[in-house]
Amino acid sequence: MIKSDVIVIGGGIAGMVAALVSARNGKRVTMLTYGEGTLPLNSGVIDILAYDQQHHYVENPMKAMESLPEEHPYHRIGREAVEEGISFFREVMGANGLPYAGSFDRHLFVPTAVGTLKPTSFAPRSLAGSRVFQGRRKIVVVSVRGLKDFYGSIMLENLKKELGESRSYEVAVVDPNLGGGRDITTQDVARWLESDEGRRNFVAQLRSRGGSDAVFIVPQVLGLKDGELSEELEERLGAPLVETTCLPPSVNGMRVQRILIDALRKAGVNIVENTRVIGAKVKGSKAISVTAEGCARKKEYTAERFILATGGFYSGGITMRDFDKPKEVVFNLPVSFVKGEAGWANDKLFSDQPQGFAKSGIRTDAAMRPLGADGKVVLENVRVCGRMLAGYDFCFEHSGNGVAISSAYKAARE
Amino acid sequence: MSDTKMIEEDKQAVYSGDHCLSCTSCMANCPVMAASLEYRGPKLVAPAHGRMHFSQDDYEDSLDFCSNCKSCDRACPSGVAVSTLNMLMRGEYYRHHPHSKRDDMLAHGERMAKLVSAIPFGSTFANLGTKVSGALGVLSAMGIAGQRSMPSYASKTFYRQFKDIKQPKSDKKVLFYPGCSINYNEPHIGIAFVKVMNHNGYEVLVDEGMNCCGSPLVVTGYLDEAKEHADNNVSRILKWKEQGIPVVVCCTSCSLMLRAEYAELFGEQRMEDAAENIYDAFEFLEELMSKGELKTDFKRVDKKLIYHVPCHLKTQGIGTPAVSVLKQVPGVEVELADAGCCGISGNYGFKKEKYDISMKIGEKLFERIKESTADDVICDCPTCRMQIKHGTQTDPCHPIEILEEAYR
Repeated sequence: MIKSDVIVIGGGIAGMVAALVSARNGKRVTMLTYGEGTLPLNSGVIDILAYDQQHHYVENPMKAMESLPEEHPYHRIGREAVEEGISFFREVMGANGLPYAGSFDRHLFVPTAVGTLKPTSFAPRSLAGSRVFQGRRKIVVVSVRGLKDFYGSIMLENLKKELGESRSYEVAVVDPNLGGGRDITTQDVARWLESDEGRRNFVAQLRSRGGSDAVFIVPQVLGLKDGELSEELEERLGAPLVETTCLPPSVNGMRVQRILIDALRKAGVNIVENTRVIGAKVKGSKAISVTAEGCARKKEYTAERFILATGGFYSGGITMRDFDKPKEVVFNLPVSFVKGEAGWANDKLFSDQPQGFAKSGIRTDAAMRPLGADGKVVLENVRVCGRMLAGYDFCFEHSGNGVAISSAYKAARE
Repeated sequence: MSDTKMIEEDKQAVYSGDHCLSCTSCMANCPVMAASLEYRGPKLVAPAHGRMHFSQDDYEDSLDFCSNCKSCDRACPSGVAVSTLNMLMRGEYYRHHPHSKRDDMLAHGERMAKLVSAIPFGSTFANLGTKVSGALGVLSAMGIAGQRSMPSYASKTFYRQFKDIKQPKSDKKVLFYPGCSINYNEPHIGIAFVKVMNHNGYEVLVDEGMNCCGSPLVVTGYLDEAKEHADNNVSRILKWKEQGIPVVVCCTSCSLMLRAEYAELFGEQRMEDAAENIYDAFEFLEELMSKGELKTDFKRVDKKLIYHVPCHLKTQGIGTPAVSVLKQVPGVEVELADAGCCGISGNYGFKKEKYDISMKIGEKLFERIKESTADDVICDCPTCRMQIKHGTQTDPCHPIEILEEAYR
């Protein structure tokens, strides 16, 4: 039996933020994780809200938040915690060399791996494309020989549509000479650029393609650690470099992950990895402990407070073996979901209609405590955050990391 | 063996590849991929290509690059036993292909050690022998990394030294499994463990009928031989379990093999049953501590320690119990190195053609340790300790030695 003040279940972005906020408030924190969380698959940019419920683009996320349906978790989190939580996150990133650009009331645009522009609220400087597009006449898409899942020509076609025909567009192919028999990944290229020789080589191959009104668009390869390398390369090339979001693994997501883990260690958080939490002991309206599977045996972890950040359906926080019977796996909390097959899924995957199942989750009060069907708090010392929350479809409305970070912040503070 | 009760099919590691979502978390966290462009990576080799390997004579060459460090297994959000799939495929490959002399030697450390310890002054001559053959380039010619020194044999094995220890009798008993490394190379760690347990009122038993856990056999592709070891060890562990005596292990690769890999590789229910009776030494001590049964009459030990947590401990899902126990000792400070895999991964880094990869993987850890102001490096795994010594010229010890010092 391991005792802590706070136990955070889940090591994704919500779990890590909740653990860090708790630890910085002087709590003894244990974080239980299983798998890597979604950061290696997540661009790490912070979407607060880019589309309303009719899938119309919204100019001002904080304002649009007010007209979201009552069930939306932003109404529980509240404007203040959204601002404080995201500011907290930005401070942590900024203090560790990965400053985030952006604002609460207006969108930035980051280029995606296929050359569309995606609205987001905050992004590391190196991804914040709209910061530099204005006035630049020459768009140079940099593709890397041997890199999987990055196609310069497709990118170029889409960028033309987004940024207009009046600029010039070209693809520059950089050859990192990373032969070895397999496809190379963005991580391989980022490692290459972390070497002095790699950077020299990169600059030499691109220098002639730049110019004072040029901008280079590159895959997520500008260093594994922070934003320092992108600044150095911009200086050496004399033109801005913009990273795109990428197919996984996401280098930027992993920068964020590394910074958060280091911060957690520094704050004294005890991280137990590779342990799946499968149940809990409850007494009345209080959770006493959670049970986690280690190798071959179960282990009990007790605490005053539990923060549930187990990632919903994707990460196994909610399962559904029988239709219409979703189950929250740790505390067996009531799951709010759309009943019946008709509303469950939209079979047109890429349409502008939402997915019914996506809003499945746990309803909470303003303190992020789980609610039952009767609207009463089920467990007083449990807080729920991130993708476990009911009432939002992050894919459809583009609110993923915004809800994750701000709900985690509030869960740890309340 | 058709009447052997197997683990339910949907829980067997060999079928876990079907849970793969191709999310690439394993690739993003693979230390070998980070160091080498030749390894196609866990996702492509294990769950993807692996499905075919079991059904036809078609082997993925780069399977040879997997070090079984299990970073992929820990990264996987879907419970795929990635590295175990690789080890099963490697075993299958070597059922149809010959092993090299080098692999035979690296896999059968126990056989050699038994021979050496049976001869008077055997260890002296054997140590001299490995030094001389190292100097003459014999080991290198066999395919062993010439830069490394081979582990040297202790003049008296742990089991022999154990016989001379006068222990207080007690109703509270544990069975200590030293594994090859503590028994033949570093018996002082076993002795420290016995002292710690005695101090806490436990009598320590040993079972010389248990043999090498089989980890070196598994990673070198001697799967059928490893199964023989598993059968023997599991029967003995179950016998101790029946008597209510837990089996406690100081080497984290041995404990992972006994408590997880047997069942994953071979799928038998009895292996899971036996696994419940296996404890990591500090896991056991941490449990005593949480029950208020751990002796806290610690002497002050003014030491700042940097701890490299072995991959095979991280995989056990029990956290870092050595940290929570050692933190109770006045004067002790523990910081985690948190710099990834050390790169040696059992006998992987001893292979000549893997030496450079192994050292490249370890770079981050070496740098971290060199920059640290800690007085000592601690680590539970014998090969990690060898790698750290080789890469940093420090002399790491097992955390149990620190605790033993605090009880002195």
